[in-house]
Amino acid sequence: MKLLEIKDLRARYGAGEVLKGFDLSVDQGEIVALLGANGAGKSTTLRAISGLVPHVAGSITLDGKSLLGQTTEAIARLGVSHVPEGRRVFPGLTVRENVILGASNRRISGADTKREVDQKFDLFPDLRRLADVLGWTLSGGQLQMVAIARGLMANPRVLLLDEPSLGLAPLIVQQVFKVIGEIRKLGTTVLLVEQNAHMALSVADRGYVLETGNLLVQGKPDELWNDPQVRAAYLGGMAAG
Amino acid sequence: MSVNLASARISRGLPQAAVACVAVVALAFLLPGEGYYLNILMQAATYAIAVSGLVVVLGYCGQISIAQAAFFGIGAYGVGIGMVDFGIGFFPAMLLGVAAAGLSGLLLGLGSLRLGGHYLAMVTISFQQILTLFLTNWISFTHGPDGIRGIPRPSLMGVSFASGHAFLALCLVFLVLSTLTIWRLKTGRLGRAMQAVRDNELAAGTCGINVFSTKVIAFGISAVMGGIGGALFAGGFQYISPDQFSFSESIVLLTMALLGGVQSPFGSLVGTMVLVILPEWLRFLQQIYLAVYGAAVILIMVFLPDGLWGLMLSRVIRRAKPIEGSVEPLPLLSERAAASNDYVLKVEGLAKHFGGVKALDGVDLAVRRGTVHALIGPNGSGKSTFINVVTGLYRPTAGKVTFTGQDITHAQPHERNRAGLARTFQNIRVFRGMTVLDNVMVGAERPGNDIAENPAAVVERALAALDFVDLRGDAHRQVGALSYGHQRYVEIARALASSPQTLLLDEPAAGLNLTEKHELGELLKRLGGHGLTILIIDHDMNLVEQVADHITVLNFGRRIADGTPSAVLANPDVVAAYLGEPRHEAA
Amino acid sequence: MATFLQLLFTGLGIGAIYALVALGFVLLIRAASVVNFAQGQFSMVGAYLLVVGFNVLGLPYYLSMFLSVVLMAGFGVLFAGATYWPLRHRGGLPVIISTIGASIFLENIVLFLYGPSPEVLPGLFDSPGIQVGPVFMDSQYLSILVASTILVILQYLIFEKTLLGKKLQATSQDKEMASLLGIPVVAMILITFGYSAALGGLAGMLVAPVLFVSVGMGGLIALKAFAANIIGGYGSIPGAILGGLLLGVAETLGASYISVPYKDAFAFAMLLMFLMVRPQGLFGEKISEKA
Repeated sequence: MKLLEIKDLRARYGAGEVLKGFDLSVDQGEIVALLGANGAGKSTTLRAISGLVPHVAGSITLDGKSLLGQTTEAIARLGVSHVPEGRRVFPGLTVRENVILGASNRRISGADTKREVDQKFDLFPDLRRLADVLGWTLSGGQLQMVAIARGLMANPRVLLLDEPSLGLAPLIVQQVFKVIGEIRKLGTTVLLVEQNAHMALSVADRGYVLETGNLLVQGKPDELWNDPQVRAAYLGGMAAG
Repeated sequence: MSVNLASARISRGLPQAAVACVAVVALAFLLPGEGYYLNILMQAATYAIAVSGLVVVLGYCGQISIAQAAFFGIGAYGVGIGMVDFGIGFFPAMLLGVAAAGLSGLLLGLGSLRLGGHYLAMVTISFQQILTLFLTNWISFTHGPDGIRGIPRPSLMGVSFASGHAFLALCLVFLVLSTLTIWRLKTGRLGRAMQAVRDNELAAGTCGINVFSTKVIAFGISAVMGGIGGALFAGGFQYISPDQFSFSESIVLLTMALLGGVQSPFGSLVGTMVLVILPEWLRFLQQIYLAVYGAAVILIMVFLPDGLWGLMLSRVIRRAKPIEGSVEPLPLLSERAAASNDYVLKVEGLAKHFGGVKALDGVDLAVRRGTVHALIGPNGSGKSTFINVVTGLYRPTAGKVTFTGQDITHAQPHERNRAGLARTFQNIRVFRGMTVLDNVMVGAERPGNDIAENPAAVVERALAALDFVDLRGDAHRQVGALSYGHQRYVEIARALASSPQTLLLDEPAAGLNLTEKHELGELLKRLGGHGLTILIIDHDMNLVEQVADHITVLNFGRRIADGTPSAVLANPDVVAAYLGEPRHEAA
Repeated sequence: MATFLQLLFTGLGIGAIYALVALGFVLLIRAASVVNFAQGQFSMVGAYLLVVGFNVLGLPYYLSMFLSVVLMAGFGVLFAGATYWPLRHRGGLPVIISTIGASIFLENIVLFLYGPSPEVLPGLFDSPGIQVGPVFMDSQYLSILVASTILVILQYLIFEKTLLGKKLQATSQDKEMASLLGIPVVAMILITFGYSAALGGLAGMLVAPVLFVSVGMGGLIALKAFAANIIGGYGSIPGAILGGLLLGVAETLGASYISVPYKDAFAFAMLLMFLMVRPQGLFGEKISEKA
């Protein structure tokens, strides 16, 4: 059975339909990239999975259990961990406190929390040094590391990553994708939304390309890479740089 | 065509004012008998004038004042004390009272408006309490809790206002004039500045608006309107006492404004009428009527955010006509100044420390006139801090900023904008409550712009800027209804309409898709060819390569490279700190 | 000198009440970004609940006090449902105005139910107080000081040392993100309102034996608590405490040495002075917005 399965997903914001009915699935242990232009509906798809979009139709299931109509908190407790666009690190809390709060969706003892936070700091060595620094003082790359570490603390069935490279310097983008590669080794399932198709397809097992709320094409990275329609629309020209 | 449109904007209101004045005077004299109805109307008219002041301070400028009854009281006591104790005439006494109200408003505003909105709320509550204490306890001056009786009514140039009808007519004329003035204020330069401050203080400052003085003026106007209402109230009822100007009366006035709709003086008029007349019908409520008022405030906030007037307007389908006709293109695009060697912007040894963190640590940077200069660097390298210090949002710890030969190191943001420095923001800062056209007009009428004093030309300039970014068709839409990319263009148009010497763009490509990024690059190249100097921060190396004449690289608050694009992007330090891999290998 | 010390003691007692109300106020600012103008009416309602429990129903004093605190917590939840919940997505201004509406509503509904004549409540202890050197320490002022100290320490521990406190802070900083992490956001906000109302109510009950219980008692206390909050530094917990004590002392001394009728004006004069000279208050952070 598929871990995360989406069927005929439709969503509307105000008068406009932003998701027009498409299917998507993620298997256990896979990294799936969701690509497309601005406004194609990538972030809306993630927000719909997390119960943040009010008017959604179709079906979204995790392990066969419907997520539709559940509250965001309940969905988080079922094991969906969402690292949203813009990182959203709590500015008035320290790095350590931010990471600890990532485990809010499960019951876990203080000692286990401490141990797991330490594991996350092994994954992101920079964060150990910054553990007691307040969120608002961090740079974009550091914030992204905190956000991903916090997302992993949920011990997720599936990790939703929304535009992890947005607004980051080229060098930091490379580091972030290296970390995503590490996460894959841990066996965590990831649904990755990216503007940077080149980087996303370099770590993904499969990819979907959305266009204005519809599924344009799906397949293995090299299939997408060589699809002339996709190349022309999204990957070609400047993105190859 | 658009010139006619603009002059129509200016002259509208004058004929209506004359007609309305005649109408209300006739109405006042046609009312039957003395007494009850006259009193209710007199109360409604004087209250409505005070409430229209709240439209300015709360509706237009977004600041909460809870002392309108205090200013109303100062105006009333000016008339009462002036006429009864000092024997001066009604109009001079009124002038004194209104001046006292305005002056206390200015003083309170100067003390509290540098800070956020709730400070004014608290300070006005305090002022309200202190005033009540003085009115009650300073018996030798205010007559204490007994109040002042026998306030005479005036006569002016042989016309006596002693009768209820005549005095009501006087109140109504004041009401018509104040309502129309405040209605006109909204679409004028000052009104737009107030709304810009309400919607986004930081952006307003960088658009040349003196945020602090705009707030103080709005509050001052509101206090004056309170004073005028109060002075007329004293003449109308001929008896005043402290409890008429208490905190709870301030709440009543606030409720009137909110119920009617705080965005328009017509709304406040409707709200006042309803709440003056309603209690007369609801006399059976007696002591509980204030509780009903309190509950009403909550219910209005929840169910009628735009008030009764807003509700009425939303029922009327309004379709603004598209603005036809061509306008002169932006003048800054016609001056074909070639790149030159003189420096427009010069930054020397700039440092900014936040506590122990050195966000900027002695940065030098010089931007030549007519070039596109890019500032790049890793996240946290100090780029945004740099632009915020240069535009005056942060105070530098050390260093010097020179712009077109002037030292602007310690200038306020609006002063820098007046000198010709415009900017856009990384996370878009448009004025959400205003239309696209109004947003861009705020830019066009920055003090110091060549056409700022000519309202017709301001409209034309704004339309020209909208033409440039191809958004003329959306001119009358609320800016919040546009897509993210288009809001970014509105921000750029707002900056261009102000005819800047230099334009600072803070990550303009963030969040844009490839097509939009490419369009943005084309737009910047078109600008760069026209003598406008541009300083751009962005992570998109394709965009930077596409447009930049010169690149400066920051890392850890220090400059690590500076020079032509080809030299800088091949610099090994830059590759190590920022790019990660040399450019042009993958492609 | 003896009078001065006596006045100082009384001033600190009154100031502790301002500090308690200011604490509830700061709590809502920090946890829910709500500037609650009905904070003083919480104290008034709390004191009236005690009047109902002890004077009317004849329940034991401490039991009525306990029940009143519990009821106040529930009342805080109701209050949140009416004034905050429907407006939570519309920015700070509408909520401020609706709490102003609520303050008017509460005062006048109690006035309607109970009438304007003030009620009298006995103190916590039967003993009038103890003599320490030249100062007579009134037992009620003493209990106010002790209770305030305990509550302040408790609140600090909850906010800074517990996971619940961190979740409350996270909720106040970014509600959507908190919900994505599985933090029950609604519960966090209701807890904050409930606690804040209980704290305000308790302050009202503590001060009731000193001041009389009247409909208007809360408004004035709240205004001074707001002033304390600004004098101490907006949103700062130690600032609220110090600001409250300072105000209490200043107005007690002012009333005794300068003028009784203008007693209430000293607080506001002090507030205006601070706004002119040191707007960030004693412990305030520099007020700046990130561009």
